[in-house]
Amino acid sequence: MFIHYYMTPSPVTIQAHMYIAEARDLLGHKHFRHLPVVDNDGRLQGMITDRDLRSADPSTVLNADERQRILDRVQKTKVKAIMSTDYLSLKTVSTLDDALLLFEKKPVGALPVLDSAGKVVGIFSLDDLTRAYRSLFGLGEKGSVLIAIENQTDSPSLSRLVQVLEEHNVLFTRLVCSDGKGKEPAMIYLRINTCNIPAVHRAVEKAGFIVHVPMSASQGQPPA
Amino acid sequence: MAALYMTNQLITIIYDSQFLKHDTGGGEHPEVAERMQVIENQLRNGALASSLLYEQPQPADRRWLLTFHTEAWLFRFEEATLSGRTYIGHPDNQIGFETYDIALLSAGAGLKGIDLLEQDSAKLVFCTVRPPGHHAEPNVPLGFCFLNNCAIAARYWQQKYKRRKICVFDFDAHHGNGIQAAFEEDAETLYISIHEHPSFSYPGTGFSEEEGTGDGKGTILNIPLLPGAGDEQVIASLESEVEEKLAWFQPDAIIIAAGFDAHRLDDMSGLNYSTDLYHLLGLKIAGWTKKYTEGRLLSILEGGYHLKALPESVEAYLSGLLAEL
Ligand SMILES: [Zn+2]
Repeated sequence: MFIHYYMTPSPVTIQAHMYIAEARDLLGHKHFRHLPVVDNDGRLQGMITDRDLRSADPSTVLNADERQRILDRVQKTKVKAIMSTDYLSLKTVSTLDDALLLFEKKPVGALPVLDSAGKVVGIFSLDDLTRAYRSLFGLGEKGSVLIAIENQTDSPSLSRLVQVLEEHNVLFTRLVCSDGKGKEPAMIYLRINTCNIPAVHRAVEKAGFIVHVPMSASQGQPPA
Repeated sequence: MAALYMTNQLITIIYDSQFLKHDTGGGEHPEVAERMQVIENQLRNGALASSLLYEQPQPADRRWLLTFHTEAWLFRFEEATLSGRTYIGHPDNQIGFETYDIALLSAGAGLKGIDLLEQDSAKLVFCTVRPPGHHAEPNVPLGFCFLNNCAIAARYWQQKYKRRKICVFDFDAHHGNGIQAAFEEDAETLYISIHEHPSFSYPGTGFSEEEGTGDGKGTILNIPLLPGAGDEQVIASLESEVEEKLAWFQPDAIIIAAGFDAHRLDDMSGLNYSTDLYHLLGLKIAGWTKKYTEGRLLSILEGGYHLKALPESVEAYLSGLLAEL
């Protein structure tokens, strides 16, 4: 759940007094698109992205001479001139949830991760976020399956459900609920680790829960 | 070949009563010995009885197991059975004292079948075996499976008889994660699986986005069906993406991971197949065999847990194969 398990540590950084040409070189040779700008102590001063670099390029409608002249000038411009300073950042103790809220707030592809002194210790991208949730939710984990149970929304139901699973030796790795206040009806989702799903259905139903079976749209009939 | 056409016995069943001795502990475990018995009864007393020949398997040689599994797993597996443990890794994977030897026999059935086919001593081979295999990974058992019968048979066919391009077609309700693991970086094998969608079904793999990596890119075709899907959806995908993929791959031999748990009576999946669909699968598969592999077709039982639907579906499948070949 914590950012520091999922971030890319010790990312490549650049300094504000360096030239755009150098930033271009760094981004061009690597597979990332975000470059934290730091001072001599490694503290964050700004961010530049490949998009910032592209928008610094001269327009393609200019004639060749003029284009080259502007290009030369851009190459000699310092990073400071194009970096964004109203960046958002994460701390090493931030959670994936914090990151999700920040990504929602501002359309950026990656966030710098700072230690308590403000030094850049990592970078965390949207791809990292999806990967982190994928692993936390056990998606693609061999030997597991998601089952959906109608949530009767009274608080003891969750503990009762866990008790039933434990009594039947059903291993499970995830338990997520929707409360029915949004578009999704009130449900409990469990990722269980067993092939013998009918036995789990029987146990859960015997305890008074209703297992929800999603149906193929073109096939209305429930399986026998 | 000529001699074969003179007899009615066109289907060779590879079976051993030893399979009954793999003890899954009773209780609610669905992978029971009775599965073998009901298939036996149906075949011996049903419409296909006069078309059947029986052969016994030999235990698979360790060298063939090692084409997929690790030494470490084979040792761990044997040791666990001998030490009297009741399951390995997860209670799904129930074992008894004799499970290791029986699993070797189960893996050996496919190899025997390939020998018979290659020596023209059999025309159609169906292996009635347990434990099943398609969930077994190189280093761990999963979902009632210990040794990956289909993956091992594929390597045997390639290495012993130089049939390079092997297609495994898996119509079990569940995705054969182990077969996919064996093949996903390999350009000379093709794995096609139609199964219940991994979001709602064990083992949680087999999304259509998984299509092989590196040299094996394009050699995995996963066709996930939503719960409730049935004959119509299967037929549609057979006639489009499956046949397109086979035409592209041009297999030298086909192995069928024949699981019958997508039957509508079988509660191990939410799929809704009819018994007739298995007949149709037999017809289609026999057609592919004629078109691409000069008859090189081996079927190995995987899942199927409803004790009435299972034997009827096996019979329907075999009658489909027989009608077309
Ligand atoms: Zn299955």
